[in-house]
Amino acid sequence: MRKMRMYQICFAVLATLMLAGCGGEVGSPQNEPVQGGKVVVDFPADTLRQSLIEQKTPGVDANTTVFGYKAYKIVYETEDETGALVHASGLMVVPTDNGVRPEDARKLAYMRQKGFSLVSDSHGTIFADKEAPTAVAEETLAPAGSPILLSALAGFVTLQADYIGFGASADRYHPYLLKHSSMEATVDFIHAARKFAKKNNIPLNSQLYLTGYSEGGYVSLAALQELEQEENVTFAAPMAGPYMMDQMALGVVVHDRIPIPSFIADVAYSYALSYEHNVSELLREPYASEVSTLFDGRYARPQIDARLPKVTEELFTRSAIDGVLRQDPSYWFYGALQLNSTAYWAPKTPTRFLQCLGDDVIPYAMTAGTVNVMKNLFKAPDVEAVPVEVAYTGDSNTTLRLGHVACAGPAYLVVTRMMAEIRKKTIGY
Amino acid sequence: MQKNWIIGTVLLAATLEAGGYKIPEQSLDGMALGAAHIAHTTGADSAYYNPANMAFLDPKTRYLEGALNVVHLPSNDFDGVQIFPPSTVVPASASSEREWAAFPTMQYVHSAQGRWRWGVSLAAPAGMTKRWNSSVQKTFAEKFYLLTAELNPSLAYRVSDTFAVAAGLRLLYSEGEVDSDGIVNGIRIARQMKGDTVAAGYNLALAWHPGSGVEVGVTYRSKVKLNEEGEANLYLGGVGRQYHAKVSVPVPAALNVGIAKTFDDRLTVELVWERTFWSAYKTLDFRYDTPIPPALVPIFDDPKLKDWQDSDTFRLGLTYRWDERLTLMAGYAYDETPIPARTLSYELPDSDGHIFSAGFRYRQNEHLEWGLAVLYDHKTKRTIAPGENINGIVGSFDKGGAFLTTVGFAYRF
Repeated sequence: MRKMRMYQICFAVLATLMLAGCGGEVGSPQNEPVQGGKVVVDFPADTLRQSLIEQKTPGVDANTTVFGYKAYKIVYETEDETGALVHASGLMVVPTDNGVRPEDARKLAYMRQKGFSLVSDSHGTIFADKEAPTAVAEETLAPAGSPILLSALAGFVTLQADYIGFGASADRYHPYLLKHSSMEATVDFIHAARKFAKKNNIPLNSQLYLTGYSEGGYVSLAALQELEQEENVTFAAPMAGPYMMDQMALGVVVHDRIPIPSFIADVAYSYALSYEHNVSELLREPYASEVSTLFDGRYARPQIDARLPKVTEELFTRSAIDGVLRQDPSYWFYGALQLNSTAYWAPKTPTRFLQCLGDDVIPYAMTAGTVNVMKNLFKAPDVEAVPVEVAYTGDSNTTLRLGHVACAGPAYLVVTRMMAEIRKKTIGY
Repeated sequence: MQKNWIIGTVLLAATLEAGGYKIPEQSLDGMALGAAHIAHTTGADSAYYNPANMAFLDPKTRYLEGALNVVHLPSNDFDGVQIFPPSTVVPASASSEREWAAFPTMQYVHSAQGRWRWGVSLAAPAGMTKRWNSSVQKTFAEKFYLLTAELNPSLAYRVSDTFAVAAGLRLLYSEGEVDSDGIVNGIRIARQMKGDTVAAGYNLALAWHPGSGVEVGVTYRSKVKLNEEGEANLYLGGVGRQYHAKVSVPVPAALNVGIAKTFDDRLTVELVWERTFWSAYKTLDFRYDTPIPPALVPIFDDPKLKDWQDSDTFRLGLTYRWDERLTLMAGYAYDETPIPARTLSYELPDSDGHIFSAGFRYRQNEHLEWGLAVLYDHKTKRTIAPGENINGIVGSFDKGGAFLTTVGFAYRF
């Protein structure tokens, strides 16, 4: 009996020790709770200023006003090309007083009193899920891209929709350069962001600015067309976008070679899916079969371009090339390109089309032609083309020429300055 | 929450006691003798200290013993500055938090089966805990602890009347936590990580009793690699994100050689040399399931150089049988730190130690003994000169060390 008791004691202690040792997990990160979204970046101004100075950001020094940078991921409802409901996501960046100097804190308090102006900044072409604005924010937990200029330096609230096919809707294909879903994803995000701001005491005034670069230029112009039916948009500045899709496609097929085949291949892929045609009607095999993999969100542009031919006739079918060359609206692809062009109307909103004269992907003629059509054919009252090199240097005779990628930074500097000037005249700060 | 409290304060709150994070004292006698307890082991704790000696215990008797070890860690005092890259010098004089902890140990040796005999021990062979609440130190080590529980069954074989060998299996459960929280270049950078693992190793032992009161023991405990795996919250600024994380730390291999001589069947003197193979600890490398923010990579992702050195410990133990009931014990050890000045960090500001211990056993009746032991580990002051430390530490660490108290019992049946 006594022996039994000792065994029992021994094994009870052993068992207790072993069982008690299992487990013990770290809880979820303790982030600021918000209604209708989540905080994905909360970065102090002083650290951001130091970082910008180290990166030699033009116009930033120890005396520059820099605000704290807080970014939210918001999931909202929108619709795709067929009108089906989609849960999409976007990034909302708000200037804060985190780490600001006392004089900048006073400035921010005044801005809050007057309300922040909203900028919808549509991002350029991406292919990998990890490149979406919310994905970048969630991975880096740090400020990135144009919201640094627009929010941390200029004090706007910046919105960047991920677009359908990225972020919360990464399981879908991205309807690339398709007007309806591009416009819906952007407009619905603006609505969702305003609701989010109201719920979370982020003061907004009534001003709305639209901009975006490359694909974002196209998207922002599509969104402008929709928004003008609902409200007065303060100012729009699409940048370097393929507004005339039909003309862009024509420009591709008349050349023997395609420097960056991923862009036009994605157009073919997304148009075929959206208009329920076989991809093989537009792209030759094996590429027609491969693009669903290449554009599934795992690969970035350099990886995709490496898998696609740069010879036009190797990538596109003969019938697709001929259909576009004929400029025949009855040919489904060419007709779709015309329908999805965003150039053929007249904005009421003051609109400035920014584009570099040296753009090597979207020719400056695209912007000049769009402005020409809008002004002369559709009688748009206030649209102009702005050569970025000229606006950036302030020299109308400048010989500076910037390509499509190099142009983005200066273009955002120019557009931020333009919007800040308008806000100063109208809101007072 | 309750489970964490139990783990952290009652059961296996492992503690820094010997050089590095190894804990050699695992029984009443082991504590009283400062682990100078390899050649001359006469009870159930042979199962841990030298399982070959199990072969020489009374073959018909079963031995059981247990102990509760209470640990107090005084604060470490740091007097100096911290250099943040590239050249920001910040005053950093501060004291670490004082710690209280307790952990049980238990050993059992079964009766002999011919020349064979088995035993088992439950031990906490490694562990550490260090907390800093001062602003500079918590940037690196707000909380750093490692707990281990080892189940160590072993089998002895009596080769002859004077020579025996043994081998055993080391089964370790381990749990670790790493917290840090500070401001670097104006922005909050923090980490909270908990992980656990189960790992295995082995141990070998031999005992030689040539006569004339002389006993010789040699033991080897293999390295056990603890691949801690769990969740980590990393913060940059005001936002944190959770990652699945892994980090590997070794419980190093250790070789113990002991020789004991008993005079007049009353006084036993034992000398032990212990070589601990800390050079297995090259780097501390956290790995994550997805890329972490680039700004955090240099701090939380890049491997941290440790480059520890093999260390020696020299132990002296005295056991004096006062009468049939009372046995007195005392010990001293000189314990080298394995941590070079170059890679010393706040999580474990270790230095060479002088360990003093004493205790007694009292035989209550033919079956039961009980006793008490105390141990004081005095850490020498350690000064880090400018440019000597890759972690930017310049200054002196003082105090620290440990006070341990053990109450134990032994039962024979």
